[in-house]
Amino acid sequence: MTSAGRARRLEGRTAIVTGAGQGVGRGIALALAGEGANVVIAARRAVTGEPVAHEIRDRGDSAICIETDCTDRAAMEACVEHTVAKYGALEVMVHNAFRGGRAHRLEDLDLDLWTENSRTAAWGSYYSAQIAYPHLAAAKERGRLVLVTSPAGVEGSGGIPVYGPVKAAQRALAKSLAREWGPLGVTVNCIAPVAETPALEYAFNERPELKTRVEERTALRRIGDAERDIGGVVAFLASDAGGYITGQTVVCDGGSFMGL
Amino acid sequence: MATSLDGRTIAVTGAGSTLADGIAAALVASGANVLASLDRVSVSLDGVVHAAMPAIAYERVPFHEVDDARWDAVWEQTMRDTIEVLQTGYRAMRDHGGAFVVVTPVVGMSGAAELGPYSAAVEGVRLLAKSAARQWGGDGIRVNCLAPAPEHVPIGVDSGALALSPPALGGPGDVEADLGPIVAWLLSDDAHFVTGVTLCADGGVWMAP
Repeated sequence: MTSAGRARRLEGRTAIVTGAGQGVGRGIALALAGEGANVVIAARRAVTGEPVAHEIRDRGDSAICIETDCTDRAAMEACVEHTVAKYGALEVMVHNAFRGGRAHRLEDLDLDLWTENSRTAAWGSYYSAQIAYPHLAAAKERGRLVLVTSPAGVEGSGGIPVYGPVKAAQRALAKSLAREWGPLGVTVNCIAPVAETPALEYAFNERPELKTRVEERTALRRIGDAERDIGGVVAFLASDAGGYITGQTVVCDGGSFMGL
Repeated sequence: MATSLDGRTIAVTGAGSTLADGIAAALVASGANVLASLDRVSVSLDGVVHAAMPAIAYERVPFHEVDDARWDAVWEQTMRDTIEVLQTGYRAMRDHGGAFVVVTPVVGMSGAAELGPYSAAVEGVRLLAKSAARQWGGDGIRVNCLAPAPEHVPIGVDSGALALSPPALGGPGDVEADLGPIVAWLLSDDAHFVTGVTLCADGGVWMAP
């Protein structure tokens, strides 16, 4: 029970969150753990992931860190295997890790930057989904795949032209997998968050005009909090209450992009 | 009166496919000089239609059976090829302006079971077109998408599966007769204020946005 006396919605379930060493991934991990889930912090570097696991355990919740590069199939397989060996099941897979948000011109695209975007967002989604699949299928109507995309995956991005495409690919993959895995009871959704994170801070530093634009366009006039505003949405999708939502993108950006 | 593309040079990728060949025939009928490839473009272009997609993309495979070679061939190669087509077309049009039409069947927006890699690639391509539209508008280059019905690609998906109502216009249409004139219009000056748009020409099924 939480301090409010409410039953925790994910008690006894197990979740993996990639890229949970910072930002949105950390917020999602804190929120899922706060609802009772055993959370695996799948961070590329233990030096960022371990402190988040500690923070969760300090709150009395359950978490471990497994150093995992989401663009490496063997590493993802090992992460899932370790998780299931420790907790006995895997109900919730959240792929959030992303790298490559640097502004550029499409006509001068450096293919290394494309590769970073593609490997983390698209290949990472492919590995997360496929390697978690047998366990999500076994979890049946408790099985959840959540891919963290972006409003840019719908509207495109003028500054980072390859960011929209890899984020759009995640949305399409979620829709196809929602249709494919629906008969098993497993749901597949995306969230499209905007939150105060190191990545957003970096983007604002690189494109100062973007900060003003985002603030002016956001109906709620504030940038989201990764745990409360974004993590809470994933906790809901992961819970039984979210079990009839699949194939969707939940935009949680304070009312900025309204194009869905 | 049909759109005239007299004197315009348009490259169409994907020769040999129903979509590319039908569109190319319609563009020729509109008066355009059509090139069936972008491979050695040193000439100046007025437009590019990108309809190419590797045949492996159309194979239906349960997602848990997709291997890295398949994901690479469908997702990674399609995206890299499209980036190259856009960059090549940009170089051939930047001096005087021009227009791209990128063919993105509605299955990218709808998703489809056992077509995860294909739907991801189509939607990736569609968003690449939007990004290009945002960056190249100032160069006088427009980038739009045409979203035909899934019947025009060999994936075994029927429009009827996407909507509760039958196609408003009776069916998926004919590529040359029904889709061709739309592509010709998007490439023409009449569409000079249209960019970043996805035009669903699927007979009135998906109706997005």
